[in-house]
Amino acid sequence: MGLPKLYQWLLGAGSFMSVWLAYVAGYFKADLSDGMNEVILVLPLYLLMVFACFSLAVVGYRVTTFNDCVEASEELKQQVAEAKADLEAKGFKYASDWK
Amino acid sequence: MASTLDQAAGWGLVSIAGFVFTYYSIWVIVLPFVDPDQPIHQYFLDRFYAVAGPLVAGVILLMIIGALIVHDTMKSRKKVKTS
Repeated sequence: MGLPKLYQWLLGAGSFMSVWLAYVAGYFKADLSDGMNEVILVLPLYLLMVFACFSLAVVGYRVTTFNDCVEASEELKQQVAEAKADLEAKGFKYASDWK
Repeated sequence: MASTLDQAAGWGLVSIAGFVFTYYSIWVIVLPFVDPDQPIHQYFLDRFYAVAGPLVAGVILLMIIGALIVHDTMKSRKKVKTS
């Protein structure tokens, strides 16, 4: 198991942000082109947008493939009937059967 | 099974997410490497809005969530008092 999922994510995001902050604040010199520099500046926000899009897509996909549990429903109905028969055999009277 | 309407809504969400992802990726990641005089630039706003837009949207969303939480907390507190 190891670390909980939350700590794994926090660790990943924390180490990424520390490197990013060090770069943005100019703690180390990196000889990158202007284009790369511009991309790196908005990288955290971009990753956030990617995460948002991914979450939205997952929700949409789950909505599309939402299914009925037909077999489970049949099984449950059968078990209810069995339990009813069992209780009736032991002398239980149902309110719905009162006349 | 999910009804046809549900499926349409689901695929709608997926395609919105895909479109936003593609558009934003091109805007933020690809455009800095394209020459400013290329015609592709006319389909995208200034780079400033690629940062400001999501930030403003995020702040508005957080404000709506906060307002809803405050609203619901007030409502349940009132209910406790009357009962």
